[in-house]
Amino acid sequence: MVRGSRVVEISKTLSEILVCPLSKQPLRVCEKSNSLISDAIGVSFPIVDGIPCLVPRDGEIIETGDTQSDYKVNSVDAEKDHKTK
Amino acid sequence: MNRPAGNLLRSFLRRSFSTAENIDGNLQSSKVQIFDRDLKRKQRDRAAWLLNRKDSLVNTVADNLVDRLEDVKKTFPSALCLGGSLEAIRRSVSGRGGIEKLIMMDSSYDMVKLCKDAEKDLSSDGIETSFLVGDEEFLPIKESSVDLVISCLGLHWTNDLPGAMIQSRLALKPDGLFLAAIFGGETLKELRIACTIAHMEREGGVSPRISPLAQVRDAGNLLTRAGFTLPGVDVDEYQVRYNSALELIEHLRAMGETNALVNRIKFLKRDTALATAAVYESMFAAEDGTIPATFQVIYMTGWREHESQQKAKRRGSATVSFKDIQKEFGGQTP
Repeated sequence: MVRGSRVVEISKTLSEILVCPLSKQPLRVCEKSNSLISDAIGVSFPIVDGIPCLVPRDGEIIETGDTQSDYKVNSVDAEKDHKTK
Repeated sequence: MNRPAGNLLRSFLRRSFSTAENIDGNLQSSKVQIFDRDLKRKQRDRAAWLLNRKDSLVNTVADNLVDRLEDVKKTFPSALCLGGSLEAIRRSVSGRGGIEKLIMMDSSYDMVKLCKDAEKDLSSDGIETSFLVGDEEFLPIKESSVDLVISCLGLHWTNDLPGAMIQSRLALKPDGLFLAAIFGGETLKELRIACTIAHMEREGGVSPRISPLAQVRDAGNLLTRAGFTLPGVDVDEYQVRYNSALELIEHLRAMGETNALVNRIKFLKRDTALATAAVYESMFAAEDGTIPATFQVIYMTGWREHESQQKAKRRGSATVSFKDIQKEFGGQTP
């Protein structure tokens, strides 16, 4: 269920500074579901009436059939491991 | 399919937290949960519905906080305003500190929405505002992206105050300013006493009704621990007079400052509540029948490190003995 069908753009200022609250990685705007998606952890955060809701509890884990998000998680994870070593 | 993905997410979160620099330890499990953050969100939703724009306490604190911007020569083109008295800050900020962009964040959607709707009445001052819903404990702001972080009466509800302050520091650009007001330990001391006495009398024991608050001496340590330079702390005490103890509770509700302790007892017997009001009135009422309540506000200022700032030399780095200071520098006339 997508709340509100009209897509409200978020301001440029916001899109420049917002990051995922959990991983602090960049977010991607998904216009289809009107949400902000954190690819690093595969979570989407809703944009309600032009206000992005980035409280971790508001986020939803993306459950897509394909393994794209899993793959992303793995790759970021591997990158992190690599960096820490 | 579902479950392994969940596990993966969790393990990823755990790992990314433990490797994230500067955020000490594992945010998820090791931190003590004192406050019920979800309840606090709901209370702040309610506070948005009850909001009183003429609340003199909130307006005074917000004004006092924003006033500090005029004490510095630096301007702050982009500012982030964290939860708490968001709306009051928005009204006080106009024209001060050279703020051009203001990002307003609160954990309650209704509060943010209220500010957004109020914006059209204020839009004449040319500040570009943006809004988001976020949690101070999980700040969704990119590193080094704002010049100023203001938090007015919000941070005392965070479970992990040092963590929230560290994240604020990271969000600041170098030489950015962190400005916060929180309620201090002396706040509502009368209510604390009245609650304890009434509970002992009616229920034979006490339960936490009023949250633990930071003491003044903690505030400086917090700033230093969060890595702010040039920390400054000062305290103000406000006495607000109410016609009755119930009015005080109404005021707290309108500010979203009601009990949100995780260990709270979820009901309050009518009997005990009335006893509390009676004790409060008999112990603290003024001659004219009004009831005073103390609010202690701790103002904190700190800067993100920058080489232009003055700082003390490292301990033990002196090359001249105190005995020889006279010899070394005495000859020079200032």
